[in-house]
Amino acid sequence: MKDVAVVGVGCVGFRPVTPELSYKELMFEAAMRAYEDAGVNPRKDIDAFITCAEDYWEGFSIFDEFVPDQLGAVLKHLFTVSADGLFGLITAYMLIKTGHFDIVAVEAHSKASDILTYEGIVNFAFDPIFNRPLGGHPYYVAGMEMNRYLCETGTTLEQCAMVAVKNKRNALANPHACYGANITVKDVLCSECQFYPLKKLEISPLSDGCIVTVLASEDVATKLTDKPVWIRGVGWCTETPCLETRDWGRAVYTELAAEMAYKTAGIKNPVKEIDFAEVCDMFAYKELQHLEALKLCRRGEAGNLVEEGVTQRDGELPVNPSGGMLGMGYALEASGLQRVLEAVLQLRGEAGKRQLPEVETGVVQTWRGIPTATGAVVVLSK
Amino acid sequence: MSREISTCPLRLRHYPGHLEPEYAYTLGIAGERFFREIKENARIMGAKCKKCGKIYVPPKLYCEECFEKLEEWVDVGTKGTVYTFTISFLDEHGEKLEKPEIYALIKFKGTYGGIVHRLGEVKPENVRIGMKVQAVFKPLTERKGTINDIAYFKPIME
Ligand SMILES: [Zn+2]
Repeated sequence: MKDVAVVGVGCVGFRPVTPELSYKELMFEAAMRAYEDAGVNPRKDIDAFITCAEDYWEGFSIFDEFVPDQLGAVLKHLFTVSADGLFGLITAYMLIKTGHFDIVAVEAHSKASDILTYEGIVNFAFDPIFNRPLGGHPYYVAGMEMNRYLCETGTTLEQCAMVAVKNKRNALANPHACYGANITVKDVLCSECQFYPLKKLEISPLSDGCIVTVLASEDVATKLTDKPVWIRGVGWCTETPCLETRDWGRAVYTELAAEMAYKTAGIKNPVKEIDFAEVCDMFAYKELQHLEALKLCRRGEAGNLVEEGVTQRDGELPVNPSGGMLGMGYALEASGLQRVLEAVLQLRGEAGKRQLPEVETGVVQTWRGIPTATGAVVVLSK
Repeated sequence: MSREISTCPLRLRHYPGHLEPEYAYTLGIAGERFFREIKENARIMGAKCKKCGKIYVPPKLYCEECFEKLEEWVDVGTKGTVYTFTISFLDEHGEKLEKPEIYALIKFKGTYGGIVHRLGEVKPENVRIGMKVQAVFKPLTERKGTINDIAYFKPIME
């Protein structure tokens, strides 16, 4: 079967607010950049379009209907995946694998600054009978999960804080990141404790932005670009939605998604075969939990990796050289594509000041946030 | 908290919107039994899978593992153990709470799952994973058949 490559990426953002652009204009700008990057005309060349969006984030029903015009997809084959952008990318990969489509565009965005009651929307994702009536700020689930993760693995508060320090520093070299900062472990640990043991500086702030990627089948990809980035493996998994029965110490959803992705990619030893990782760090401890789930270290060892500098940009296994979500902001369903964007730029050698030397293969992972136990993993290679 | 906006979007060009969805969520067979027992008898019930033996709390009509229908009901008692907890300093709007709330997942011996609830009658600094706790029910006349019929869980001596 033919391979599939990312042949174009376009990005707008990421910023805390985008007062001058509507969500449609945000999408239009990112799409223009992606099509220009891929060298394709959406009205002629693109066979299908996928948007990743959730009605409640957008503030109106049946968001699918509000999509085609700003992407150049009117009268074309288009649908919405109600999930993180990485699920859209995986869906596009499968469409191309069917042999019926040669070029597919995938879009995900965040206009989080339009949401005036963010906490309320997240609360609305809780089980309406067993959990939601308790009320409270929805991030209490993150505090509970971090506490259990620390208890089971012996990971320290300092090690979690180091993730925030590293990622915010990495973000300083990323023009797409708006939350870069030069801070210390002490700054993180002394920041407001919001959901014990989780501190304010360990929580990704919201951001606005949009990413569009263009995928193509092997023959078309090699004609379009000298630098295709190949999708070698994909995987996804949902654990149980029940807070009561899920595993609180491990990211099982990512363990299984990674297993699937490594299997499709033919990766036997991820530690040796993966050069860098872009993972979900919506809360600092999640980066550590996800690295363990991706088998990039043994369980309970991710804290040591960050402490020893292994996951620094110049370390043996750079993690979130983009600055992650702590640095770029939590961009709702665009979070996974933020990771893809960085992986593509790194593999093409176009990451500017933050370029990693000699990278061949990267792994990208996403989690759908509170209160889900859903994740996806994609392996990308030069 | 999760937002760092230096410019107020309300001062710029926008159109204000307001959604007011209202629902009556069906409790279902398992949910109805669970909440009726809490309301009328101050009992916490689980449902047992006859195939794998797991006792689900809260009860479900099916086993996540075996996809079997669950038909056997088990009283799991009102005492459990704190599996994990957090102290929340922010309220549901992201504003600072005057008195922090403690949330915990409480597991019951020999069962699968548990109950997510608040802890009471305890100082935040004294809460530990593994602590024994017991459900404190609201008085019968105040119980409405919701998870809040349990006021909170409080620590007990073993
Ligand atoms: Zn079973």
